[in-house]
Amino acid sequence: MVKLFSLCISFFLLSLLFLSLSPSYVLADPHFEGFEPEIDDLEDDDLSLPLTDLPLRSSLLTKSDPEPAGISSPDRDSDVPDPVDEPLDPQSPPSVSDSPKPSPTSFSYWDEDEFEGLPIEQPQEPAQQSSKSAEDSATTDQNSDSKPNSPIPKPANVSKSYTVEIVCGSFLVIFVINYFTGKRENENVALSWASKFATKDSIFERNFSLLGVGEGEDSPLLLKEGQNIFKFYASGRRYCQGLLATMELKSRHDLISRLYNMVVPCKDEISFEVYMNDDAMDHIIFAVARKKAAKGMQKDLNDLQRFAGILAPPSGRKWVPEELSVISESKEVAADLITETVLDQVFGEKSFEKFGKYFISMHFSDQHPGMHKKMLLFKFALPDANNMADISRLVALVPYYIDAIGRYKLSSQARSKAEAARSKAAQEAYKELQNARQEALQKRKAEKKKLMEEAEAKLGAEALRRKEAKDRAKQMKKAMPKIKMSRTR
Amino acid sequence: MSTPANDPRQPSAAKPFVSPPVNPQDLPVDYSGFIAVVFGIAGVMFRYKLSSWLAIIFCAQSLANMRNIENDLKQISMAMMFAIMGLVTNYLSPMRPGTKS
Repeated sequence: MVKLFSLCISFFLLSLLFLSLSPSYVLADPHFEGFEPEIDDLEDDDLSLPLTDLPLRSSLLTKSDPEPAGISSPDRDSDVPDPVDEPLDPQSPPSVSDSPKPSPTSFSYWDEDEFEGLPIEQPQEPAQQSSKSAEDSATTDQNSDSKPNSPIPKPANVSKSYTVEIVCGSFLVIFVINYFTGKRENENVALSWASKFATKDSIFERNFSLLGVGEGEDSPLLLKEGQNIFKFYASGRRYCQGLLATMELKSRHDLISRLYNMVVPCKDEISFEVYMNDDAMDHIIFAVARKKAAKGMQKDLNDLQRFAGILAPPSGRKWVPEELSVISESKEVAADLITETVLDQVFGEKSFEKFGKYFISMHFSDQHPGMHKKMLLFKFALPDANNMADISRLVALVPYYIDAIGRYKLSSQARSKAEAARSKAAQEAYKELQNARQEALQKRKAEKKKLMEEAEAKLGAEALRRKEAKDRAKQMKKAMPKIKMSRTR
Repeated sequence: MSTPANDPRQPSAAKPFVSPPVNPQDLPVDYSGFIAVVFGIAGVMFRYKLSSWLAIIFCAQSLANMRNIENDLKQISMAMMFAIMGLVTNYLSPMRPGTKS
């Protein structure tokens, strides 16, 4: 398959190269300014050279070709005879008077020595033609001994180039073929995953009571969201509300994406979102990823940025391999979650060499942004449809960690720390909200003031005077000393 | 790594799948559809055959990657219309003087 597509690519590159180099796209301008010979120089040359040695020119008029070779003009297609095509007698030098005159309609004044912008010759009147033919017959009788030149063949009209149409049409055909083949490949990968992990007696069937995206027994296992996106849902398990697995496969169905992926490779990925019960998960923020990805995660993800930091590997105990980084809120949580079992099965030095190539990241958080706060996220790469068993140990991490986190309880010290951090974060969030509200209020007030000022500006001069008078009266009243009236008996 | 002896399944806790509502703003941008519209307009306005052909190719890509019919179909149909109009004007209308295909 890869060979086929590499052949296709090479074919398209060659065709595009041919397209760019084809002469029909190169429009050369035949006229170059500034290269006309000086008149004085010409006269000197004419005097110095013996006229007998010069070969006779076939025509005194040179015709500048206004269009490139290969592009036919409507003028050429017409039945007007070309002066070059006529057989010329080498013995008789044509006089200037014999040279074809331009049509009077095109130019009011015509200079014989002007070589630029020759007008198109138009067929003469039939009377003129008959007189010319008589003269021609006379000249041919005189020069019957001499050999007549063979007429120069008229260049045939070059057929229109259909390179663009051929290239684009063939690309579309290949695009359509690739759409169906790529679609089938993606479906095969998704189905092989489902048959390995979601059918009878498989890991998810043993762990969840409801499998599939529909209701009832015969509900479909996978939901196809796009040609390269498949979803699998499972529910009915302790400690969690449900699990949603999303397979994001390569865009094999799209030829352009496929060509792009040959340059910038990408993997088929599967991500598991486990929605934990609120009472089942303690204050845990924990992540494991490859070093580069871990740095990116810590910068991008809000919860990791606020509460967690990258941990240094502890001394005196087994730990994850050097390629991986652990991000956690506390060392205690990290030590408790990276157990001996996990190290033996997946994250140990030897086991990671075998199964680690498909591991991308794990992220557990009780402060996840979105609808579900408490979530476990797992991200793995998918192998080929034939080697789906290679990720069975990684997939087994999902139910293992659901149970591990469901049972896990923080120590009192770690809990108090975590709660303090969360309350602080909540206060900050509240402050931000308050600030935003105050800003909104201030904006509203400013807008109201502006409106009032505009209204005042609209009011007439008299109304303003009245208003000022009222204001003055009010101020005077305020300034007057208060007299207390008391009734005497 | 094996699960404990007691069965972890709880049929009473099972919740059927409800697809989350998709916000059109959260959907990935349909670049191919946009490029198709641009090439389609260029093909119609400037009478470039290559532009119209490229518009059709990008329309095909946009159709292949279409996820949400309600949101994507408007742009794709517009791009397709421009692309077909471009091809029709390029191949079926008389050539204007001074244009190169």
